[in-house]
Amino acid sequence: MSHNALGRSLTARGANPVMWPAIWLVLLMVCVWGFPYADGVLRVIEPDARQVVYQRASLASLLVQHLLVVSAAAVITTASGVLAAIVVTREWGRNFLPLVAQVASLGQTFPPVAVLALAVPALGFGTLPIIVALVLYGALPIVRNTLGGIQGVDKEVKSASAAMGMTGWQTLCQVELPLAAPVILAGIRTSITINISTAAIGATVGASNLGDPIIAGIVNGNMAYIIQGALTIALLALTVDSLFERLQERLRSRFYTS
Amino acid sequence: MALLDALPSPRMSWRQWRPNSVLVVLLSVLLVAVWLFDVVSVSPNRIVSGQGAGLVEAVGWLGALLVSGVILTLVLLSLQPSRQNYQVALVGVCLLLLLMPFGLMVASDRLVSSDAPPARLNMGMAYWLMLSLLFLCWIELRLRLTLPRRWTVLMLLGVAIVWWLCAMWALEALALGQEFRARDDEFWRALRQHISLVSVAVAISIGLGLSLAMLMRRYANFQKVAFGVLNFLQTIPSIALFGLMLGPLAWLAAQWPLLSQLGVSGIGWAPALLALVAYSLLPMVRNTYIALEQVSPETLEAARGMGMRNSQRFWQVRLPLALPVLIEGIRITSVQAIGLTAVAALIGAGGLGAFIFQGLGQAAMDMVLLGALPILILALIADAGLGALSDILRPKNTVPPGEAQ
Amino acid sequence: MIELAHVSKRFGDAVAVDDISLHIPKGKFCALVGTSGCGKSTTLRMINRLIEHSEGDIILDGQPIAAYDPVKLRRRIGYVIQHTGLFPHWTVARNIGLVPRLLKWSAAEVQAKVDELMNLLGLPKDEFAHKYPHQLSGGQAQRVGVARALAADPDILLMDEPFGALDPITREKLQDELARLQAKMHKTVVFVTHDMDEALKLADHLVVMREGHIVQQGTPLALLQHPQDPFVESLLGGLERGLKQAALTRVKDHMAPMGPTLPAQSRIPAAFSLRQGLSMMLRDHTDRLTVVDQHDVPVGELTLRKIVKEAQPEQGKVRES
Repeated sequence: MSHNALGRSLTARGANPVMWPAIWLVLLMVCVWGFPYADGVLRVIEPDARQVVYQRASLASLLVQHLLVVSAAAVITTASGVLAAIVVTREWGRNFLPLVAQVASLGQTFPPVAVLALAVPALGFGTLPIIVALVLYGALPIVRNTLGGIQGVDKEVKSASAAMGMTGWQTLCQVELPLAAPVILAGIRTSITINISTAAIGATVGASNLGDPIIAGIVNGNMAYIIQGALTIALLALTVDSLFERLQERLRSRFYTS
Repeated sequence: MALLDALPSPRMSWRQWRPNSVLVVLLSVLLVAVWLFDVVSVSPNRIVSGQGAGLVEAVGWLGALLVSGVILTLVLLSLQPSRQNYQVALVGVCLLLLLMPFGLMVASDRLVSSDAPPARLNMGMAYWLMLSLLFLCWIELRLRLTLPRRWTVLMLLGVAIVWWLCAMWALEALALGQEFRARDDEFWRALRQHISLVSVAVAISIGLGLSLAMLMRRYANFQKVAFGVLNFLQTIPSIALFGLMLGPLAWLAAQWPLLSQLGVSGIGWAPALLALVAYSLLPMVRNTYIALEQVSPETLEAARGMGMRNSQRFWQVRLPLALPVLIEGIRITSVQAIGLTAVAALIGAGGLGAFIFQGLGQAAMDMVLLGALPILILALIADAGLGALSDILRPKNTVPPGEAQ
Repeated sequence: MIELAHVSKRFGDAVAVDDISLHIPKGKFCALVGTSGCGKSTTLRMINRLIEHSEGDIILDGQPIAAYDPVKLRRRIGYVIQHTGLFPHWTVARNIGLVPRLLKWSAAEVQAKVDELMNLLGLPKDEFAHKYPHQLSGGQAQRVGVARALAADPDILLMDEPFGALDPITREKLQDELARLQAKMHKTVVFVTHDMDEALKLADHLVVMREGHIVQQGTPLALLQHPQDPFVESLLGGLERGLKQAALTRVKDHMAPMGPTLPAQSRIPAAFSLRQGLSMMLRDHTDRLTVVDQHDVPVGELTLRKIVKEAQPEQGKVRES
């Protein structure tokens, strides 16, 4: 379930895979620092607008805020999601397994906008409801993948680890988690890439991030604004995604090289 | 041996007694919540935040004891889990869900004086907690009793109807109801718009998805490029994709008057539909592709061995076997589209999202709820309904993915 | 020494193992045989407490196993399973060194032990030490599995259908190897299998199980000679039973001294089984074989008449349990 099949399909034609994160990152930087000077280019898209460069805030500061929100959510989701999945796969927490697994898959049906909208009455406007909505939404792929990863560990391997006299903790840290790591990482990757896009919706409830230019563009009917926000977010997502792809390859190659 | 191995290894004899800790925890939290937090709140008008009221204040001692009694009974039932007890508990959970709107009626009767018509009754923290915890209990019980997914559809529909009736006839004071009555026609129109946008988008992506998936199976190069493009589309935030459709469509409408006569313009349903289809294609194509690929080669080989023609093999073997996975794809796509259509309101496509964004703009939370709740319910119903359909179509001896732990 | 006294295991209402008693002396090879689901694996797994027994006593070196800490107990008992259960993310060397490392041996000690075991099990260190399990063939992986089980020098070795997933040729090779190792190391082995030939070949003591009960136990010869009921008889191969019995008897126990006649043309080493002798007679169309020692010097003679008449050894040789 790669979100970076574009990168991969291009990679297949001979480009160096290590390069992709760097390429996306450079493009992202070009966008962030270049748009303020790209008046001429943006003018082509929106010849009649009074202003085509988004100037209410610098794209760089919006990018930083966007990243802060997404990383705060990512840290919380990863910690809580992995922890929850570990708890329900232990002997003593197993009772909760069916419910948690079901909720993790059911939760995907909750539209992020609706979650966001419901978080606002409880938490008010601003950055906090965004983080809450992102956490709620982002925890699910992580829980699901961690569950899948841990349950996917060969039963024989788990049984062997117990039979060799490993304690539960040793089995978890030395066997289950390392073996589940690629799947868990894939879950974190999905969660973060989804959240990078979803965070943009936060602009509608008063969090300022890369969604701002988009909303401003929609409200004023200014395509140039929308493109500045959208392109930056897309490149950010691609950068992060390709980084994760690299990480996954590293993990895979660590297991399976002689 | 496999069956025995799957059982958790047993402990000492005193631990033979095993309550269903999940239900016990959920219900205990519920019991604490209903006594600790505000069940409802009353506000004098739409914008001012309300005055909270606890359980006793809201439904009186009798009601409070009734609610606590039912919850305690459920706790007792889950201390001694058995199939029969689970069934009784299931009935209890449904009973509580059905009682909840009546509780609101009682509360409105007690707290809202009839001579102050703009006063509104809001559901409080405890009320929402109760709703979600009961839903979790429902899921837990359904899993323990291994009921199929269609039961959830039935339960959701039943509860929704009772709620609806209560809200219609007896709950003048309920804020959500007032909000609804204030924009009755608007709501129905929005709902219709929402559903038709979603269904048209899903229908188009089913058609396109099927054809794309077929092309992909034929041309390997096309598959790589197409998946690349579709994946790239998904990384563009939905909100931006909607925005990006504004320009090109406005331009097209300006160039061809015929299009604008058809209603195509930079804002409205046309860009929304385009963006929805663009987003829906990836899950649709991916699942269709997987669905068609996962049919076992032996089966197809056997079909060929029996002398079936290519077209016969496709229509009589591959497609029926692929259907459950295909419907899973439609399920994922529909649920996603229901959520995304909410965002489409930003570019004037209407739908339930309009209430959300209007409400957020006016800081009127009831209006936000009026948009968000139906979207949530629509998503849940689409999920459960299409999931159940895929279960039914699945050959009996295979395990549906939703039921596998 | 392992002693099971009236041991039962219940899973809910289902009884997996029902009141079995078993005595396995130190250094003996005990095989549990039966069809799948007869409780033999459960019995095995109760010994290292992977499954806790419900009733009865399991005594290990004079102490009930409940008295041991399960983790420490398992580190003292080697365990080999059918699909090896090797850790796929660890190299062969790291897999083998698992238990010594759990026991906090020094790195040098672990390394020495791993080298020794790889040598013992015919896994050239340079070739295999840094391979991952997925790069091994089934037979190689199971050698690693056995090496891992032996790493901490356990007195007891539990083996749960260790060769069940291997092709017949590899299986036979590993069986021979196990027999060789056992002759050298004298571990107390409990070996679960559904392959009666494997059990007959390896075991000192044979336990036939069915539906959680022990149907019969004794030496392989005793069972072959006096199967208690049709079930045991069918497990032992029905009509083939005579041949299986012959396979367990050595030529040297049945040869006659050299007779006055000319020695027969066909020669058979004294260490071979009667079954091989019979086969040779059929092949060479003869009823007489010359028995030779390892230096190919004739030491006696084997006749068909003697095999048929005296295939059963004297009663005194059979250990009844």
